Amino acid sequence: MAAVDLAQNTLDGLMIGSSYALLAIGFTLIFGVMRRLNLAYGPTIMAGVYLGTAAFISFGAPILVILAIVVIGAAVVGLYVERLCFRPFGEAARTASMVASFALWMQIEEAAMHLLPRHMNPFPPLLSAPPLQIGPLLLRADHLVMLAATLLIAGAVTYFLARTRFGLAIRAVIDQPRAAAIVGIHVQRVMMLTFVLASAVGGLAGFLIAATDAQVTAMIGMWATTKGLVAMMLGGLGSVKGAIAGGLLLGVLEAHAQWFLGPQVRDMVAWGLLFVLLAFWPGGLMGSKALDRTMAVGRRV
Amino acid sequence: MLDVQDIVTSYGKIEALKGVTLNAAEGRITCLLGPNGAGKTTLMYSVAGVLKPRRGTIKLAGDDITGQSPAAIVARGLALVPENRLVFPQMSVAENLDAGAYQRRDSAEVAVDIERMYTRFPRLKERRAQLAGTLSGGEQQMLAVARALMSRPRILLMDEPSLGLAPLIVEEIFRIVGELNKDGVTIFLVEQNVHMALKVAHHFYLMEQGRVTFSGEPGKLAEDEVIQRAYLGTSREKR
Amino acid sequence: MDGYLITILSNIGMVSFVALSAYILLLSGQISFGQQAYFGIGAYVAGIATVMWQWPLAGALLFGSLAAGAAAGLVGLATLRLSGIYFAMATLAFAEIMRIAAELFVYRRDIGGIESGPDGVDGFRDIRYFFANEFSPLETCLIVYALLATVLAILCIIERTRAGRMLRQIGEDPLLAEVHGINVMSVRMIAALAAGAVAGLGGGLYAHLMTYVEPKSFDIMLGVHALAYGLIGGLGTAFGPILGVLIDIGLLESTRIFHGYRMIVFGGLVAVLLIVRPRGLLDEVAVSRIRRALRRRRDAGD
Ligand SMILES: Nc1ncnc2c1ncn2[C@@H]1O[C@H](COP(=O)(O)OP(=O)(O)O)[C@@H](O)[C@H]1O
Ligand SMILES: [Mg+2]
Repeated sequence: MAAVDLAQNTLDGLMIGSSYALLAIGFTLIFGVMRRLNLAYGPTIMAGVYLGTAAFISFGAPILVILAIVVIGAAVVGLYVERLCFRPFGEAARTASMVASFALWMQIEEAAMHLLPRHMNPFPPLLSAPPLQIGPLLLRADHLVMLAATLLIAGAVTYFLARTRFGLAIRAVIDQPRAAAIVGIHVQRVMMLTFVLASAVGGLAGFLIAATDAQVTAMIGMWATTKGLVAMMLGGLGSVKGAIAGGLLLGVLEAHAQWFLGPQVRDMVAWGLLFVLLAFWPGGLMGSKALDRTMAVGRRV
Repeated sequence: MLDVQDIVTSYGKIEALKGVTLNAAEGRITCLLGPNGAGKTTLMYSVAGVLKPRRGTIKLAGDDITGQSPAAIVARGLALVPENRLVFPQMSVAENLDAGAYQRRDSAEVAVDIERMYTRFPRLKERRAQLAGTLSGGEQQMLAVARALMSRPRILLMDEPSLGLAPLIVEEIFRIVGELNKDGVTIFLVEQNVHMALKVAHHFYLMEQGRVTFSGEPGKLAEDEVIQRAYLGTSREKR
Repeated sequence: MDGYLITILSNIGMVSFVALSAYILLLSGQISFGQQAYFGIGAYVAGIATVMWQWPLAGALLFGSLAAGAAAGLVGLATLRLSGIYFAMATLAFAEIMRIAAELFVYRRDIGGIESGPDGVDGFRDIRYFFANEFSPLETCLIVYALLATVLAILCIIERTRAGRMLRQIGEDPLLAEVHGINVMSVRMIAALAAGAVAGLGGGLYAHLMTYVEPKSFDIMLGVHALAYGLIGGLGTAFGPILGVLIDIGLLESTRIFHGYRMIVFGGLVAVLLIVRPRGLLDEVAVSRIRRALRRRRDAGD
C-alpha cells in the first residue's frame, strides 16, 4: 500500500518536476550570463501564456498556433526586460537590475490583468487521452508528454551549449566574460540572445504547464518565478544538469509532502529544504569544487 | 603597426592614462616597462577595445580603431594575452582554443592551427581534455598565448606573461615570444621582468603614473637604471 | 483631516518601517527578500500580547519588536555568512516558511466572551486595542509617525557615527573592511538585529491599526517592495526609503491618477529611474550635495 503511494507520488513528482526543471534551465541561463537575478522571468512567461490564452478565447486558435504565440510572446517580452533592466546596467549595479526587474514584474502583471481580467481562464488541453495504467500506477498521458518534452528540450539546450559555436560563446561569457570579449565574442549580443532563448524556453514551460492544467490563473507569474528560483538554487546555480536535477527533486519532494502532509506543508517543505541547504550546504545538489567560481559570482550578486 | 596617440583613459574620475603616446613597429618586439599601477594594463585594455579611451586615437596598420568593440579589433588582427591569463576555467583546453578561434569560419584551417598549437605547446596536447582551471600557472599562461594565437593575429599584445611563474617557465615563455616574432608576429609586451624583457625587445618604453617617461633601444640606458625606474619610478625622487 | 487621508498617511508610515528594515541591510551590502517575516512576527506577537494577554500597547509593541529582532538574530546566525543571491534566497525561504507557518497557526481563546486569536489562513482578526481604548484615527496616525520619527532619528544619528560609517564600508567592500580591522560578521549581525526589530515594530503597529493581520499581509510582495523603496528613494540617507514609499503609495496609489494603470506607470518609471540613478534619487552624491548646501546656508545665516 505505502510502497504504491510512494511510487505513485514519485512518478507524479517527476512529471510536475519536469516543468520546474524547464523553468530552472531558463533561470540558470539568464543568471549564468548576467550574474544577476531576473525577477521578471515568471511574469515574462505569464505574458506569453496570457497572449496565447487570449488568442484561444477570442479566436479559438488551434493549439500549435497558441504554442507559437506563447513562445514568441515570452521571447519578445524577455527582450523588453533585457533592454530595460539588464542592458543599461553594468555588473556593478546588480541590485538596480534586480529591483528594475521587479518593477517590470509589477508592470507586466497589471498589463496581463488588463488583457484577461478574470482570475482563472481556460487553456486548451494538451491531449485528452485517458490515463495509462501501469500495474497499480496511474500515469496521465499529458504528463508523459510534458516529461518527454522537458527531456527533449533539456537535451537540445545541452547539445546546443556543448556543440554549437553560439553555445561555446554562451559558455565563454558565463565562464569569464572579460576573456570572452578579448577573444572577439560580442558579449552584449550573446547576453541578449541568451536572454531571449531562456525566455522562449520559459514560454515552452509555461505552455506545457497551462496545457496540462487546461487553465491559467493570475498566479502563474509569481509561481514560475518562485518555483524556478527554488529549483535553480536546489540544483546549485551552476549548470543545466543541476537545474534539471533541482527541478525534478523539487517536484518529487512536493508530491510526497502534499500526499503525506497536505498542500500547505508541501510549500513549506520546499522552502525549508532550500533554507537548510543554503545555510549548511550552499553548493546545492551539484555542489563541487568546479562550482566555486559560480559560487563566488553568486555571492557577489 | 600599432600607433597610440595621446590616449586618456579613466576609471570614474581617476585618470589612469594621462595622454600616452607610443608606437609598436611592424615585425618587432616592443616592450613596455613600469612600476605597479603605472597604467600598463589599462593601456592594453584600451588598445584591445575593452576599455574606452576618453581622448586620443589608436591606429592599427594605419586604420583608426579608437572606440571600436573588442570583437571588431580582433577581426582586424590584434590579439591580447591578458594580465592574469584569464583562461576559461570551466572549459577544456581544447575548448579554450576553439574560443580563441571564435571569429574564424574556416574550421578545417582552425583544426590545423590547433594541431600546430599542440606541437608548439606539447603540455597542452597532453591536457587537451582537462579543464583549464585545473592547469598549473605556467600551463595556463601557455594556453592563454595559444588561445590568442588561434585568431591568427598580426600583432600580439601580452600583459605580464611571466607574472608569478617559475624562472624556467619564464625562460620558455620568452623563447616562445622570440619564435613568434621570427614567424612575423609583431609583439607588444608588458613586463615586470626587466632583464628578460630587455634581452628580447627591439625597443622599449617606460611608463609611470599614466605617462610615458622614456623611450629607447635596449642598451641606451644601463639595465640597473631601467630596473630602478621600472620598479621604483622616478617621480617619487623628483617630488 | 478626512479619514481617507489619515488612512493613507498611516499606510505610508507602516510600510516605511519595512522599507527602513530592508535599507539597513542594503547598507551592509546584503539584499534581503525576507524582511516581511519580521513584520509578520511583530504583528502576530504584538497582537497576541494586547488581545490574548491584555497587555498595554507600548509593552506589546516593544515585545513584538524584540521578538522580531530575536528571530532575525537566529536567522542571522544561519545566513549571515552567505551573501548575494544565496543570502537573498535564504531570507526569502525563511519568510515563506513563516508565512506558511502563520497559515497553520491556530491559537484561539475565549477572551471576554468572544473567541479570539490567530486562526490559520483566516488570519488574526479583531485586534481592537485602539477601538476599545477610543483612540481616534488621527491619534493612531500620530503614534505611527512619532515612532517612525524616533526610528529615523536614531538611524540618522547612527549614520553619522563610526558605526554607521563601518556599515557603509562593509556594504561597499566587505573584504576591504575586514582588512581595515572591522569585524564584518558582528556588524552585520547588529544590522540584522536592528533591521528585524524595526520591521517588527512596523508589524505591531500594522496589526493594531488595521485591526487584523493575515499571512497574506506579509508575502514576498511586501518584502520586494520594501527593497525597491530604498533603491527608488535612494541609499544615501534613511530618508531615501521613506521618499520611495511616498512616491509609490503617496503619489501613485492614493491620488488614483493612474487608477488601474498604476503598476504599468510605476513599473516603467522605476525601471527608467534606475537607469539614470542606479542608487536611487537620494543617493550618496545627492545627499552630500544637499548637506553641503545646507551647511553653506547655515554658515551664511550666522
Ligand atoms: N577597475 C579599476 N577601477 C579603478 N581603478 C583602477 C581599476 N583598474 C586599475 N585602476 C587604477 O588605475 C591605475 C593603473 O592600473 P593598471 O593599469 O592596472 O596598472 P599596471 O598594469 O601598470 O600595474 C592604478 O592606479 C589602479 O589603481
Ligand atoms: Mg598590470
